[in-house]
Amino acid sequence: MLRHIVTRILFSIPTLLAVLTLVFLVVRVIPGDPAVAALGDYASKEAVEALRERMGLNDPLMVQYFRFLSDLLRGDLGKSMITGKPINEQVAYVLPYTLELTLVSILIGACLGIPLGVFTAVNRNNLIDYLGRLISLAGLSVPAFYFGILLILLFAVKLDVLPAVGGGDLKKPADNLNHLVLPALTLGLIMTTSVTRLTRSAMLDVLSADYVRTARAKGLKDRVVILKHALRSALVPIVSVIGLWAASLIGDSVMTEVVFSRPGLGKMLVGAIMQRDYTALQSVMVIYAAFVVVVNLLTDLTYGLIDPRISH
Amino acid sequence: MDQSTKTLPQPAVQLRSQRQRLWRTFIRNRTTIVGFVLVILIVLMSVFADDWFIALLQGRKAQPLLAPFDPAKQDTRNRLETPSKGHPMGLDTYGRDILSRIIYGGRVSLLVGICSVLLGGTIGTFLGIVAGYSGGKIENTIMRSVDVLMAFPSLIMGLMVLAVLGSGISKMIIAIGIMLSPSFARVVHSSTLAVKENEYVEAARSIGVGQFRMLRLHILPNVLGEVTVLASIWTANAIRIEANLSFIGLGVSPPTPAWGTMIRDGTQHLTNAPWISVFPGLAILITVFAFNLMGDGLRDILDPRLQV
Amino acid sequence: MNGKKIFGLLVTILILSSIIAACAQPTPEVIKEQVIVEKEVPVTVEVEKEVIVEKKVVETVVVEKEVVVIATPEPKEPVILRLGQNAADMSTLDPHFATTTEARALVDMLFNGLVRYKPGDGSVIEPDLAEALPEPEIVGGKQVWTFKLRRGVMCHPSDGVPSYELTAEDVVYSLQKSAKPERSAYAGEYDGMTVEAVDDYTVKITLDKPLSPVLFFPKVANYSGGFIVCKKAIEAIGDEAFKTNPTGTGPFMFESYSPLEKIMLVANEAYLRGRPLLDGVEYRYMADISSREAGLLTGELDVINGLPDIVWVDKMSKEKGVRVDVFGVGEVATVHFNTSVEPLNNPDVRKALAYALDRDESLALFGEPIAENVYSPVPARFLAGGMTKAEAEKLHLAYDVDREKAKQMLADAGYPDGFSLEVITSEMTGYRRIYENMQAQLAEVGVNLTVDLVDHSSMHSMIREDVNPIVVYIAWRPNADVYLTRFFHSDSIVVTGAKPDTNFSHYDQIDDMIEAARVVIDPDEQVGMWKEAQMKILEDMVAYPLHFQQQVYARSDAVDYGHELISVLALYPHINENTRIVK
Repeated sequence: MLRHIVTRILFSIPTLLAVLTLVFLVVRVIPGDPAVAALGDYASKEAVEALRERMGLNDPLMVQYFRFLSDLLRGDLGKSMITGKPINEQVAYVLPYTLELTLVSILIGACLGIPLGVFTAVNRNNLIDYLGRLISLAGLSVPAFYFGILLILLFAVKLDVLPAVGGGDLKKPADNLNHLVLPALTLGLIMTTSVTRLTRSAMLDVLSADYVRTARAKGLKDRVVILKHALRSALVPIVSVIGLWAASLIGDSVMTEVVFSRPGLGKMLVGAIMQRDYTALQSVMVIYAAFVVVVNLLTDLTYGLIDPRISH
Repeated sequence: MDQSTKTLPQPAVQLRSQRQRLWRTFIRNRTTIVGFVLVILIVLMSVFADDWFIALLQGRKAQPLLAPFDPAKQDTRNRLETPSKGHPMGLDTYGRDILSRIIYGGRVSLLVGICSVLLGGTIGTFLGIVAGYSGGKIENTIMRSVDVLMAFPSLIMGLMVLAVLGSGISKMIIAIGIMLSPSFARVVHSSTLAVKENEYVEAARSIGVGQFRMLRLHILPNVLGEVTVLASIWTANAIRIEANLSFIGLGVSPPTPAWGTMIRDGTQHLTNAPWISVFPGLAILITVFAFNLMGDGLRDILDPRLQV
Repeated sequence: MNGKKIFGLLVTILILSSIIAACAQPTPEVIKEQVIVEKEVPVTVEVEKEVIVEKKVVETVVVEKEVVVIATPEPKEPVILRLGQNAADMSTLDPHFATTTEARALVDMLFNGLVRYKPGDGSVIEPDLAEALPEPEIVGGKQVWTFKLRRGVMCHPSDGVPSYELTAEDVVYSLQKSAKPERSAYAGEYDGMTVEAVDDYTVKITLDKPLSPVLFFPKVANYSGGFIVCKKAIEAIGDEAFKTNPTGTGPFMFESYSPLEKIMLVANEAYLRGRPLLDGVEYRYMADISSREAGLLTGELDVINGLPDIVWVDKMSKEKGVRVDVFGVGEVATVHFNTSVEPLNNPDVRKALAYALDRDESLALFGEPIAENVYSPVPARFLAGGMTKAEAEKLHLAYDVDREKAKQMLADAGYPDGFSLEVITSEMTGYRRIYENMQAQLAEVGVNLTVDLVDHSSMHSMIREDVNPIVVYIAWRPNADVYLTRFFHSDSIVVTGAKPDTNFSHYDQIDDMIEAARVVIDPDEQVGMWKEAQMKILEDMVAYPLHFQQQVYARSDAVDYGHELISVLALYPHINENTRIVK
């Protein structure tokens, strides 16, 4: 057991290292000059060249690489090439916004999706199930940013009840919540559709399992059977992939942050790409990649714990 | 991915009679048919947007056919016109007809969606089979690399690749293809492993059936079922990803119409001309939905155990 | 058992995410410690007069009783003007590196110059830190400008350096900084200038070559390299830190910066023109027009940078409680043809393209009065030396659209089927619309333009690498000399010039005309020479002037800028000590 855990952790380290190296290399290959981005169109060639020197862009690649890795080990994500401020500060500022969006979206997805999934699993092959499947499929098909735009058009433009922009002030909970509603709804409702499908399939698997049939045969009331036994078993594979949900949300959460102009890791990433801020781009990708590696590791471990068949 | 949703591998002989059963199930499954029909309609609409086939024979530039206007023709003096009889979906910020641009836009989405899945599917299947069948160091190297690639959230990877390669249809196909190949590789790998263990395959190996023949006749057909299901579902995803990337601004260059790019251009005018964003979004929604329907249906048919 | 597992997982994930975040510094905002400045707190005094009339038989005594009630001063809600700007994040707050629209507005609120452009009217120059505009003298064969400084101008307090009085030492230091390439993006403008402090309040500027006031004052105005920085403050923290921690003398002081979000400015109580009516400015970074629009309409923002689009202006003007201001300076959009590449090296081909282009079609994308056609590289509407439509037509240099003629000229030049060219454009509205429309227009005469979208800064670096055979450039320059020098003097040729700048056309035929005009003192003669130079440019058709785009800002009608908006070089509505919000 312990050996399995330790092995998996050790295995993920080279993966993480490979990921970091890939990020470093790719970021260096991106066309565009961050020095020009910083100085603007008036700047003379000398000023731009001087800035390149100061940014360390002219150092040999290996030097830059080792600086990158050693900084990371110290927890230093470097300084933004555009503002010169430590990226850690930027990340610390935007991370709460991203975290609250992710958590609330998962919450919405789970609270709506799991009951819906159970409902459609139980009411199989009738009109409600059919409609439910169609809606959940539609939910999978809609791009998150388009859904966000539709919500903006309805609630912010037409009805004028919710703000279309920004994240609000973290120190004022009411304001913060106000700005959280539409983005969280956007992501949460999209999450709901995949959670519903997942729950439905997990429930169906469980419901067709032998021991459930046995319980039914014993004469326990249907409802009791479903809720107590089936759901509990079904919940395990569902919840153990919470981390994977968060990881799968990343793409859509980036789009949502962009559409709502909401501070967050995703908006920071897109901004870094557009501004050619190598360091910020690097750091955000490192965070995302590290997050996914860790989450995958945890999920693997959890599965290893549940399913004794899977262990190397 | 559900661990409980794997197919049982089958020997090649039984597959043929299964095909007849599959066809019957197909006809009966209404949702799949709807999805299929929608997909065909969208494909037809995109292919015959203009008369390229006639133009090719006549050696001239293609003229709009199904589309009412040339999607690149600008009429700046009438820009942002509301939907009217002459232009049922209105005009965009340059005075171009939006309906025509949506019809032509399907080409980009379909081209990118289908080709990227073909690319990713081919690469992934190849890697997966090789990894699964060879085992040992080769398997390890391939699957570790797959792990590394899968560590990137797909959109982030797509952004990275496009930022490096530049924008455009071919670059997007490559980027999304790369994004998809690890998923294919993983599934095909575990599928191959399962097939490898099967007694029938072991028996065949013991009587000396050659490796290539083995792969072609026994392993590949079993794996292909899952791959096809995955491919159709992933086409829907690929189209959605293309819309995302175009929306961020990494899509095709002007004046080529693409739905994601059109939505992006429309965000400037959300309050006074929302149709510029709304209609292309609907197009994406319907197309992705159609492919998802088809994919779901295919999964129901080809993999009866995967009743979702 | 399952509950525990779920809980355990959630906790683990939370812990891990916290670890990732824990590497970060706890404070997201950098708040500058302010030295306490003694300030008198206004005390409301209510005086109640009680008149008691005591009636007596013989005499009336009137007793006035004064009851003095001191009301506890209610802390007034600070009045902060919230501005939504079209930018993703701060670029720099060092005025000598501030080149983007976003940065120029900020440094305008933070710094002064020896002279300044009159708030709201960039055609008038007035004294700022100097007491008066000096007349130039000739001393020892060189032109000398002597400035007398105002007394009592206080530098903002900063980290480690309390507020102190600005003297000639600071002015000299600042102008010398502007002249050094590694400390300023405008160093080229200060060649041949010597600055010295005669005494604490007198600055002497000596020029190697004499300049007319029109050409000299912009260099020492509150613009680009002319902003005066506080020497002690910048020496205390160094150039790098100064970019995010500026210290000047302007009506507002830098308070804090939240990355990707906003910059907070606070009123300078000791400002030389009096305490600002506003308590502060919140400068928000919102690169998306829909967000800015929504912010203004919901009351979250007071002022926003709008879209240079008449449709947008019309729509916003109809909103209740909103006013839209369209004002100069008009940044001129010019199409430059690279005369060193085929087929643009053939002047007939260039002229054909000029005849293929329809200014009005391009103008319709922005709309009058936001944009107006121009007929010379220097905009006649704003600067001396520009040519009007009438003048251009009289000289047959207006190149009014004639596509048939264009096609004929191309055929005659050997391109009956047209040709193809590849260009890149910035994503920014102003550039993108012009390029995309030009693509459609040129397609009508068989010229196939491939347009690739890149981000704004990439475009700027790429065009300076000579990537585009046709370059659209939108810019404001303070006077005709700067326009002509930076765009058409051979020194400024991209990549290969002596001082590579923005001469995208590789033009080298009017160097002597530019240099001769520069040192002419008589304004009329100077204007005449500038016009001649531009006639040559148009005859050779190395650049096709399109239109200028003005600034568009929308505000809540409670905002009163304190001045009329005619033209502002800092590309924003000029927020200063007179700006207020009327509730």
